[in-house]
Amino acid sequence: MSDLAFITGTRKGIGKAIAEHLLSQGWIVAGCSRRNNDLQHENYYHFNCDVSDEAAVIKTIKTVKKSLQPIKVLINNAGTASMNHLLLTPLNSYQDIFQTNVQGTFLMLRETAKQMSRTGGGRIINFTSIANPLNLEGEAIYAASKAAVESLTKTAAKELAEMNITVNAIGPTPVETDLIKLIPKEKIDSLVKQQSIQRLGTLEDILNAVDFFIKPQSDFITGQILYLGGVN
Amino acid sequence: MSIERHTLVNLLQTILRELGEDLGKDSLLKTDEKTPLFGSRSELDSMNLVNFITEIEERLSDDYNIDITLANSSAMSRTRSPFLRVGSCIDYIIELIDKQNDE
Repeated sequence: MSDLAFITGTRKGIGKAIAEHLLSQGWIVAGCSRRNNDLQHENYYHFNCDVSDEAAVIKTIKTVKKSLQPIKVLINNAGTASMNHLLLTPLNSYQDIFQTNVQGTFLMLRETAKQMSRTGGGRIINFTSIANPLNLEGEAIYAASKAAVESLTKTAAKELAEMNITVNAIGPTPVETDLIKLIPKEKIDSLVKQQSIQRLGTLEDILNAVDFFIKPQSDFITGQILYLGGVN
Repeated sequence: MSIERHTLVNLLQTILRELGEDLGKDSLLKTDEKTPLFGSRSELDSMNLVNFITEIEERLSDDYNIDITLANSSAMSRTRSPFLRVGSCIDYIIELIDKQNDE
């Protein structure tokens, strides 16, 4: 029987691409988003779930196990961003970003790891961003939320290692997704210039990193933050 | 959603017995409601306690369709931890189930 991967934020962009990629490799994929998803595949199961809602996360993760099978891979992709000068950043932007990016990652990780601890372990991949190491102007709160995700990743890796669970994070460069649509071209160009490899990322770059962290031979790799594009 | 107290006692004893077998600790093979779960008199270290609590949550969900989260802020802020002994842990589980039924 194929293993099951759970991916948050599968309605569009990177999450949807990862779901389609794993489905094409024969995985069973369960995914969630706040709204309905148009992804149609015989091995795809969608859950409407806000990752920052504790009760909804608990219910979703338990339902996946009971109605489908235990989760082998969790990909915490759901995220939100907002570009603003720090002095013009409303408190509710801060709250929204931290609730989805940090609280959502934490809740999904906690509930799934409980399950994985009883089913022989698993792989957890979180999503960070190069906004953190590059200290990108205009992204203070987003970068701070990703710094929190990185810290959570490293500590979770230590605490969950003895349960045979690895926890790593991928930090993509800007990719053509909805998240960067509203960012001025000059801003993206100047950001790309800070990378060792100066181009926009592609979905394939991210899928390659996902494949690396979930392949069986990667069971000795945990607590790592993998930035793409040569950022460090 | 309900469960008899004696069923909970059996469940916690089973989990402790399995832990005892895994850890090679005979004192966990035969426990009762007074058995300490943490502190200097407990046979469980902090990681064993984490596994024990997780195991209770998962088995209540899988075997009895009871979905509760034991490690919540109400448990952590009490002056007397509900995880002090098997008996206090069972009291706390029943309290959480009753609370969920009232909601």
